[in-house]
Order: sequence, then structure tokens, then C-alpha cells
Amino acid sequence: MSIPNFIIPDLLLLVFPFVVIGSRLFCNFRSKVPWRIANIGFLLIFLLLNFIPLASGEGRFFICNWRVDDFGVLMREVLIVSAILGMWFSKDYFEHGADGKPQMHQIAEFIGAIAFATFGGVTVVSACDTITFFLGLEIATIPMYALTAWNKRDQLGSEAATKYILMGSVATAFELFGFSYLYGFAGSLHFDAIQSAVAAGPTPLLWIAVLFLFCGIGFKLTLFPFYTWAPDVYEGAPTPVTAVLSVTSKATAIAFLVVLIYGPFAPIQEQIAPLIALLAGATLFVGNLGALKQSRLRRFMAYSSIAQAGYIMVALLGTAVMAKTAIIYYLFVYAVSNYLAFFVFGIIGHHREEIFNSLRGLSKQNPSLAIALAISMFSLAGIPPLAGFFGKFHLFFSSATTGHYGLIAFAVLNNVLALFYYLQLVKSAWVDEPDGHLTPLRLTRRQRGVIILLSIAVVVLGALPFLSDNIFAGFSGV
Amino acid sequence: MINDLTLGYLILLLPLVTFVVNGLFLGNRCPKAAATLAIVCNGLAFICAATLAVHYFTSDLAPQKTILFQHDFLTFAGTLAATIGMLIDPLSLMMLVVVTFISFMVNIYSVGYMREDPSAGRFFSLLSLFSFSMLGLVAATNLFQMFIFWELVGVSSYLLIGFWYHKPSAVSASKQAFILTRFADSFFLFGIVLVSYVVQSFDFSTINALSLHAFKAETINLGLCTVSKADALVLGSVMIFTGGWGKSAMFPMHIWLPNAMEGPTPVSSIIHSATMVVAGVYLVARLFPFFTICHDTLKLIMVVGAFTMVFAAVIACTQKDIKRILAYSTLSQLGYMMFALGACKINQVVVTTGWTASTFHIFTHAFFKCSLFLIAGSLIHQVHTNDLDAMGGLRKKMPWTYWCCLISVLAISGIPPFSGFFSKDEIILAAFQSHHYMVFGLALLTSGLTTFYMFRLFFLAFHGVPRHEGVKAGHVHEDFAMTLPIVVLAVPALLSGLLGKGLFEKYFVVGKLHVPTLINHSYAGWIPVAAVAVALVALAIAWFLYASPKAKVERALDETNRSHLYKVVYHKFYFDEIYYAVVRQFIFGGVAATARFIQDYIIEGILAFTVWFTHKLGDLVRTAQAGYLPFYLGTLIVGLLLWRFFGGLPL
Repeated sequence: MSIPNFIIPDLLLLVFPFVVIGSRLFCNFRSKVPWRIANIGFLLIFLLLNFIPLASGEGRFFICNWRVDDFGVLMREVLIVSAILGMWFSKDYFEHGADGKPQMHQIAEFIGAIAFATFGGVTVVSACDTITFFLGLEIATIPMYALTAWNKRDQLGSEAATKYILMGSVATAFELFGFSYLYGFAGSLHFDAIQSAVAAGPTPLLWIAVLFLFCGIGFKLTLFPFYTWAPDVYEGAPTPVTAVLSVTSKATAIAFLVVLIYGPFAPIQEQIAPLIALLAGATLFVGNLGALKQSRLRRFMAYSSIAQAGYIMVALLGTAVMAKTAIIYYLFVYAVSNYLAFFVFGIIGHHREEIFNSLRGLSKQNPSLAIALAISMFSLAGIPPLAGFFGKFHLFFSSATTGHYGLIAFAVLNNVLALFYYLQLVKSAWVDEPDGHLTPLRLTRRQRGVIILLSIAVVVLGALPFLSDNIFAGFSGV
Repeated sequence: MINDLTLGYLILLLPLVTFVVNGLFLGNRCPKAAATLAIVCNGLAFICAATLAVHYFTSDLAPQKTILFQHDFLTFAGTLAATIGMLIDPLSLMMLVVVTFISFMVNIYSVGYMREDPSAGRFFSLLSLFSFSMLGLVAATNLFQMFIFWELVGVSSYLLIGFWYHKPSAVSASKQAFILTRFADSFFLFGIVLVSYVVQSFDFSTINALSLHAFKAETINLGLCTVSKADALVLGSVMIFTGGWGKSAMFPMHIWLPNAMEGPTPVSSIIHSATMVVAGVYLVARLFPFFTICHDTLKLIMVVGAFTMVFAAVIACTQKDIKRILAYSTLSQLGYMMFALGACKINQVVVTTGWTASTFHIFTHAFFKCSLFLIAGSLIHQVHTNDLDAMGGLRKKMPWTYWCCLISVLAISGIPPFSGFFSKDEIILAAFQSHHYMVFGLALLTSGLTTFYMFRLFFLAFHGVPRHEGVKAGHVHEDFAMTLPIVVLAVPALLSGLLGKGLFEKYFVVGKLHVPTLINHSYAGWIPVAAVAVALVALAIAWFLYASPKAKVERALDETNRSHLYKVVYHKFYFDEIYYAVVRQFIFGGVAATARFIQDYIIEGILAFTVWFTHKLGDLVRTAQAGYLPFYLGTLIVGLLLWRFFGGLPL
């Protein structure tokens, strides 16, 4: 039996964590072999993904139940990029402690867990029935619980993980409840069958399913008012885990909604639009308000990512092609900008406490780092010509095509709020006088390289917005 | 390689390059190099303009209009696009030559005048910007380009009048000039918007080729009222003229011009002769065919021009500040040019001689007025005061200046064969031919007044006994760099009328007009004789009062025993004071205070409240995040219920 080409990256990704963890059996714990294998593996998978041709229409099927379409391929790329950056980011934390937390151990298992979570995301975008779909979401989530508590000697981390898993269980229960009603409504697990049942005419059963599914995923996507775990978990988890959480977990959750809304629920998109709009508006408003009053960097990033989730939700009001295009592009931009910010904060955290005051006078002590910080903040705030601006523009544009101008106006107004707190960070770094008590910063070669790479990526993604057109050329055929 | 197109680009680019290079690189470090560059570039620009003019007038193209180059840079809607180009016709070429020539002369002069000034580099840079702006203005092919350069002229005049920014009087003069002309410009802009909206074009060629009949039927909504498009065009023409009204310092927006002499004298010289103030006259001349179709707009122009002419001449007779006299004389001469344009219309018929006369007067006036200001600058540089009280007896000390000044004064007085005679004669003739006898009489009267106050200045400055210690002691000499341009300018002041008359009468004709034109003019041979006679009488009076052996100069300058009327005129009819009262009481005290109140309490209040409220909400979110797990789990349930009831799902 021959294996089709397009499935190879998925299979590799499935085998990959076992290889990385297994390699530990054959070498001592100081060995760099697992780290190298992980690097080669992820980069190889990313490379192979780029060989899958886009514009495949309905997508290709593997054993009838594993669909690889354009959106899926691009989401895989987002997830792998996030995993690679997260892995690079975490490396330092296995060499020495940071932000008052002890050094972490077992890098091979750590990377394995990230790979499992990534595979969960891949499963979500490939699923054709609710069981696989749900499994994917769980595969993506469960490693996150473990990752949050990775630092066994850190009590805050354990507390965070406890909160996370308890709330996550309730959310999972919501989802299962929703899926069970969905099955009850449609009488099938398969998406196509559900879609035709939905098109035939909704009943209260369906609406209950919709409500519970949205509330369940609202937890993962940190929507209002299900976001409460996020600030505590982001604060308590090790910094690299926070970074992975804010990108991989969010990307998986948004992919879940995209698959659902433009798949089984496509016929009732108009009826659920008010709910989406409300969720989006409330989330971005509360996220922005929360970020306004923070003084710790990771907590601040938690609220920032809550607000970003709200912005991404705005795009879900658009038509399928527009929304998918906008979301994929924004996720790329968001991943790059967010990781850039985290890298800067990580470097600060290795030498100082992770609070706003540690940034004082950064422009004088380490101008290149201050520039990188400014680039990432401006991009997250959506200032042209950086990538964040075009990303947000696509999101709003998608929603504008279906006429939700009120929400867009609200989101844009909120952007002013966002600008205020992002600029506070930039102000700390550029305007405030340096504090003599702060320990000087040192950058390793890897850190410097990644920061330069990401800064360039943010600028280039923005400066060449037509790149996005190229990326999505495949979509126009869908 | 050097074709007409290159010349056209060079004329505009050379001053611009000078501005940029001097402003950014040379100005601060090396004022001498900056001066050299300015002189060379402006000289080259003059040569280019002159060559272009010779090409044009010797070709069989003249006097048609042609566009040398044109670039789109802003498309508004459909066919409405803003372009930057270069229009070539006799009028614009004449202006190009005059502006580059005057600028060249003034640059040379400034080498002497600004020799001891530490910021001479900045001066040369700004001077080039000034001439660049004016060149762009006269070369404009459309209203939009004209407005851009119009504003640039305003800005550069602001920078130059306030050049000595450490002097409070210079700062307030520059502000006054800028704000007053900007005030007029806002009407100009409104006029441009109105006209371009109705006509759907900025192009002079389109606007000048209009006739009102096509617009009688359609109406447009101006917000306050709905009017026919024809009326809107008339309103637009008045608004556009208002721009020129302010720029050319016509009454009652004249007060900035005499005060603008706070700038260095070369600046006054270039403002009064070639760049700033003639822009208004040029605008009216350029859009003349458009103005002719707009009912009574020309009559308004005539009344404004004629009144300013007499009004300024009367004031000039009493002033003692040498630059102030010249400033009022400029106002008066601008009045001549303006009313000559306005006087072209008799009821519904147009006589175009006024147009030719007016453009001719722009040409001749530039030379002698520039020369007069440079001479005044020379005197001030030697005597260190503007006051005629302190001059006198300079004839022997400054012979070159003396003779050149005589030429220019004779020219402005309209004594043949000096240049002013020809152009002024044509203007008076035009007033006569268009049957505006009242204005004709005023023009003759003003001609006499002009002669009187110019010779008053001349006699008081050069004749008699020295009234200044420095002059008595002999500390007076002629500076070469300053005297050279004065001497050079004396040549066109003497000859430009004689030589230019033929050229102007042949080529300076308005294009096709959409109104009935009167071809057969009445010609009155006695008018030049009468004008000269009036001038000679005025000269005699001036001589009798200020220069004859019996004249009591001391008594003439004494101002203690004067009539009330004299004092009113001496204080310029108290116009400055009226302006200040209005500005202080009404604008600052009333409007500005109210605006400030709204800003401080209402807008800032709303803003402060919004910020406070947002921060309170932020605190709320923060407080909710207490880390209490049961509360968190509760939010999940509450959230579910929340979206159940408010989520808009049809449950």
C-alpha cells in the first residue's frame, strides 16, 4: 500500500515526539542529541509542509476521515512555526532559571509535549467527524496542563496547573454536552451529515449544542467571561509555556471555531453572528481594560492575548474565504510578533524580575533589544507599516464585507486603548531614565539571531503585504 | 541638450536647489559659499528665463499659450486632477524674467547688506525659496498649483519678514502679514473649491474659456442656500479675487505691507517689486477672461484698486520713515495695476487696453521699485536709521546712489522718457477709454501725489544740509556689492518703458473673450500732456517746500503745530489701531476666550472623565481576578447563562 505524499508530515509529526523522548533512553541527560533531533524534525516537517500544493478545492482525504485542505495546510504551518519558536525559546530555561523560578529539566519530554499539542491542533483541522474533532482538541489541551506544571519545584506553577485543569475539565464537559446534543439533533457524527441536517432546519436542540460548544471553546480561546484562568496560568506557568499557550493553544481553538462555523454550522452562520459579535466585542474590551492596569509583563501579555482573541473573533463574521484568509495571515503575524515580545521579555527575565520597571532605560543599555521591543509592541498594537496593522486590517475587512460596521468601529476604538498600554511598555524602554540597580543584560548568540529574524519577519510581513496575497492565492479557488 | 524644456525645468529647479543646499548644508557653516551659490544659481535662472523669453518671442508661437511640461500628482475624482506644470505665454514669461532678474539683483545686494549678519546663510536660503515659490506661482497652469505656490510665497514671506526674530516688532509684523494673507487665502481656497466644483477643472484654459449661459439652468446646494451655478461662479470669482485682495494688500487688508518692512531691506525690496504683492495682480490678470464674464466682479476690483491708490498716496505724503513711504507708494502703485484691470469693463462691453497697461506697469514698476528699496537700504545702512529727519545732504557722499535714485524717482513719477511714464500713461488712458471718468480723475490726482511724496523723499534724503552726525563727520561711503545692483537696475528703470512699449502692445493681448469687446477706442492726445503737467506741478511744489533755497526744512519736518487732519493722515487713518482693537477685544477677548473655555472645561472634561472611567473599569477587571478558584468556576456557569439570554440565539 502506498502512502499519499500529503500525509507524510502528519505521520512524521505523530512519530516525532516518540523519537525525541525515546532518544533519551540511549544517551545521558546532558546530551544534546534529543535537542538536535527535535530541531531537525520540526524543521523537516515545516519544509515538507511547504511542498503540499495548495488550491486543492475540497481537500484530499486519507482513509475517508482525515482531510487535508488549504486551510488545514496553512494552519499546520502556523502551528509548526509556533512549536519551533516555542522550542527555541524554552532552551534557555533548561540551562538556568529565570524570573525567580528554578531551572527546568527534561527538555526531550518538554519538546515531546509541545509536539503532542501541535499534533492535537493538526487533528482539529483535519477532522471530518465530531469524535476526531473532540479528540484533537483534547490532545492539544492535555499536554498544556502538564507543561504548565513543568517546574515541579515551583508552587505557583502547580497552583496554576490545578486551576487550569479544573476549569478545563468543566469546559470539556460543556463541549461533550454540546457534541452529544449535536449528535442527537443530526443523528450522525459526520460533519457533512450534520451540515445537511442543519440546513434542513434548526431546532432548539441545535441551539443548545451551539451555545455549549461556544462556551466550551470560549474557555480555550479565553473569551469573556471564560478567560479568568488565563492571567493566573500565564503568570504561574514557566515563561516558554506561556508563550506556547498564547499562540498554539489559541491557534488550535480558533481553528476549531473556523472548522465548525464554515463546516457544519455554515447554514446558520447568520443566526449565530450576533453571538460571535457579542463574544468578540466583550472579549476585546475586557482584555484591553485588564491590560491597562498591569505591572507584570506576563500578566500583561495574558490580557493582551485575550484582547487579540477578541480581534480574531471579529473576522469570523465574514464569508468563508475572506475570514480564513484573514485569520491565517493574522495568526502568522500574531505568532511572530508575540514570540518577539516573549523573547525580549525572556531575556529581561533571565537577568531581572519580569515587571514593567525592568524595562526602564532599555534604549540606552541595549538599543537593539529596545528596537525589537518597539517593533513587536507596535505590531501588536497595529501601527502601519508593521505586519500587525495589515493583519488587523484583513480581520476587520473580512467582517466589513458582511456589514458589521458597528462592531468594527468598536474594535477600532478599542485599539486606541490597546495603543495606550502597548505604548506604556515602549515608553518604559525609551523614555524613562535607566535604573542603576538593574542587572545588565547579556544575549546569547541564539537569542540575538532569533530576535533579529523575528524583527525582520514583522517588518517584512508588513512591508510586503502582497506576500499575504501570494499565501492565499490558493484560497481564491475554494 | 539645452532645449526649451530643460530651460523650463532649470528656472524652477535652480532656486529650489539653492534653497535645499543652503538650508541643509552650507547655510550655517559657510555663509560666503551660500551667498556665492545663491548668486550663481539665481543668475543662471535669470539667463535661462531670458533665453526662454527670447526663444518664445522670436518664434511664431507668440502670443499663444503653450504648456512646457505638466505632471499629474494628485487625482481627486474622475477628470479632476491636480497637476504641476509650466505655462508659457507672454504674461508668465514676463513674470519669470522679472522675478529671476530681481531675485538675482537682490541676492547680489544682500552680500553687502547682510555682510555682518551671523545668519546670512539662512537668509540666502530663504531668499531662494521665496523666488522659487513665486516662479512656481507665475508658471502655474492651474488654480491648484497656483494655490500651492501661493501659500509657499506666504510662508517664505513670513520667514523672511520675521528674519530678525529677536526683534519683537519683526515677529509681530511677520505674524500680521501671515495671518492677514492667510485670512484672505481662506476665501481664495473656498473660491477654488467652488469654481472647480462647478467647472470640474482647475485648468486656467478651461476656466478662462467659460461662458455663464451654460450654467444658468443648473443649481448647486451651498449648504445654506441653493443657487444657480452661474451665481456660484460669480461668488467664486469674488472669493478668488479676495485672495489677491489680501496678497496685494488692497484696502482694508493693506496694513501688513507697511509693517512688513521690519524684515531686512532686501526682503522688502523683493516683496514689493516682484514676488509677493504682485501675485494678487497677476492672479487677476491670469484669470481676466473669467472675471469678465462674472457680472460686476471687475467693478469691485476697480473700486478697491482705485481707493487703495488714492488712500495710500495720501498717507505716503506725511510719513517720515523712508521705507514706510516706499511701502505706501507700492500700495498706491498696486492700486493703479488693480484698477486698470478692473476698469476694463464698460457695462457689458470690455476694453482690453487696461489689461495690457496693467501688465506693463507690473513690468516697469518691478525695476524702479526694487531699485528704490535697495537705495533706501543703502541709505539706512549708512545712516543707521529709517528716519528722514536724520538724513539730508547725502548727494555728495553717495553720487552713484543719488543719480540712480533720481532716475527711479522720475520713473515712478511718470516723467518721460523714464519707464513709469509709459505704463502709467497707458493706465490713465485705459481709465479714460473705458469711460470711468471719476477714476480717471483720481488717477491723475494720484499721479501728482506720487510725484510729490517721491520728490519729498528724494530732496529730504539727498539735498540740503546733513542732519546726522555721522554724515557730517563723513562716515558715509558706497558699498560696491550694494551699489552695483542699484546701478544695474537704473538701466531698466530708465529704458524698460521705452523699449517695452512696442513689445507689450504687440503681444500682451488677452486671449479670446466670451463677452463683447470694444475694438475702436477713443484716443486722447492731451492725456499724456496733462499727466506730465500734473507731475511737474507736484514736483515744483515738492521742490519749493523741501529743496528751494528758501525752504524751511526744519519747519517742514516739525510736527508739533499740525492740523488734526494731518495727524489723522500721519497716523495712517488709525488703521493699525482699529485692527489691534478688533483683534484684542473681539478675537482674543471674545472668540478665543470662548473657544478656550470650551476646550478647557467641556472637551477636556469629557476626555478626563472617559480616561477616569476606563481606568475604573480596568480596576474592576483586575479586582475580579482575585485568584479564587470557585469564583472562576462560577464564571463558566454565569457565562453560559449570560450568553443563553443575551447571545441573540433563537433559543
